[in-house]
Amino acid sequence: MNLTDVRLWSAAAVTTAMLLSGAANSNCDFDTDDADGPDFLDKIIECEEQQSSGNQSQESSRTNSSAAATQLYGDGSLTNSGIIERPVAAAGTLSHYADKSFVARQPYSLRPDAKFEESVTIAIQKLHLEMAHYCARGWDIERQWTEANSQQQGDFFLHYRFRCTAA
Amino acid sequence: MNKLVLSAAVAATLGLASNSFADGPIDGTIYGKINVSVVNTDQNSADKWKLNSNASRLGVKGKTKITDGLYAVYKAEFEMCVDDGDCKGQTFTQRNIMGGIRGSFGTVWAGKHDSPTKLAQKKIDLFNDLEGDIKNTFEGENRVSNIIAYTSPTLSGFSGTVAMIPGEGADVDGDGVDDTGLTDGISYSLSYSADNLYLAVAGDQDVDNQDLVRMVMQYKMDALKLGAMYQQNEDSQGIKDESGFFVSAAYKIDKTTLKAQYGFIEDDVDGDEEETLSLGADYKLSKNTKAYIFYTDNTDSELDSDDDEASSFGVGMEHKF
Repeated sequence: MNLTDVRLWSAAAVTTAMLLSGAANSNCDFDTDDADGPDFLDKIIECEEQQSSGNQSQESSRTNSSAAATQLYGDGSLTNSGIIERPVAAAGTLSHYADKSFVARQPYSLRPDAKFEESVTIAIQKLHLEMAHYCARGWDIERQWTEANSQQQGDFFLHYRFRCTAA
Repeated sequence: MNKLVLSAAVAATLGLASNSFADGPIDGTIYGKINVSVVNTDQNSADKWKLNSNASRLGVKGKTKITDGLYAVYKAEFEMCVDDGDCKGQTFTQRNIMGGIRGSFGTVWAGKHDSPTKLAQKKIDLFNDLEGDIKNTFEGENRVSNIIAYTSPTLSGFSGTVAMIPGEGADVDGDGVDDTGLTDGISYSLSYSADNLYLAVAGDQDVDNQDLVRMVMQYKMDALKLGAMYQQNEDSQGIKDESGFFVSAAYKIDKTTLKAQYGFIEDDVDGDEEETLSLGADYKLSKNTKAYIFYTDNTDSELDSDDDEASSFGVGMEHKF
């Protein structure tokens, strides 16, 4: 095996690890061709906002409880094939992380030319979908707040801090 | 020895993976697409079938928060040649790769990347990466090395990008003198977006040996999407002085999108003309997968020789992930 092969295998292994650790958790509705668009920087920021929201949720769950919080993405185990497997809370599935706290956020716009899908109504709808995803049996909204998007006048991020019911 | 290196690399990678489980997901997203087509090309009556990989790619992008409102952003994208695995002798070739700092002031970024002029074209080229790609007819579709750029925030729909491109010792303007400055090449764009309208003006100076100005318009009306571009460009030696236009239209009917585009450019120095016409349709199989069919005719006409004509038709599929 020459050095080129080593580099290729290493690249493949790194890619696999990154896919396992990152892509599976991405909630962003990102179109591949957006990466070549004139607003590609906005797309990176906006799409990764959701990623960050997911990260915050994990961080919050770690802080507020317990080993069960790690079940959200699992600990991972090495199989005979060399591929690391772990349980993933796939999009669309419902789980209930009793008594754990999460923080989620969604962008919305108050610009006069904002589209309907950018409205606060849709942002709230998405937040409720997220809450239902993690807290299938119910939740309490502990706090909600809004931050302005410094990149775009009239755009904001709506945050919900919520805790799954204990039952 | 090589096995030892490999073992170390894999061990390090698994360590990375373990760490990522401990610390949460990486701050980024893997993305990409596979685009392949079976194409019959008739070039000056010579007929050939090919399987093409059309800019299939794998990329990673993301941002990392530094402080409130300040982020590091990055993107690294590589082409993979799905048809034969040979991307100019490499397994992967570099596409857009950049890193930058983003704040309320805008974004300062650098790397090897599509120029602001190319980005300003938006997606009016409906046959991008295929035989009808606008780059086969028009100048200005450049992915530039050593680009250093600033992109403003979007204010009331307006956004601008200006980029400087050091020559690093190359003769970028063709004057016989090596260029070593910071602004040997310049590319810029100013765009306006509102509702369904997109307008942009963009230009290059000494980029790919061209000075260029282009204007772009895109307008969406329900299922219909229209695009138009006007461009003037001349090379640094004054041998070429071109002007031309490009129009495109796409009409969506349920899962099918009908597409057509036409471009024409003429060289005012020697009268040479280039023309491109493409017709096609996309059929959406799922959110991320489509099948498509197309026909393209590209013609280069020179006053003192026969036309160089290439027509192609093909079917293909694209899957994004």
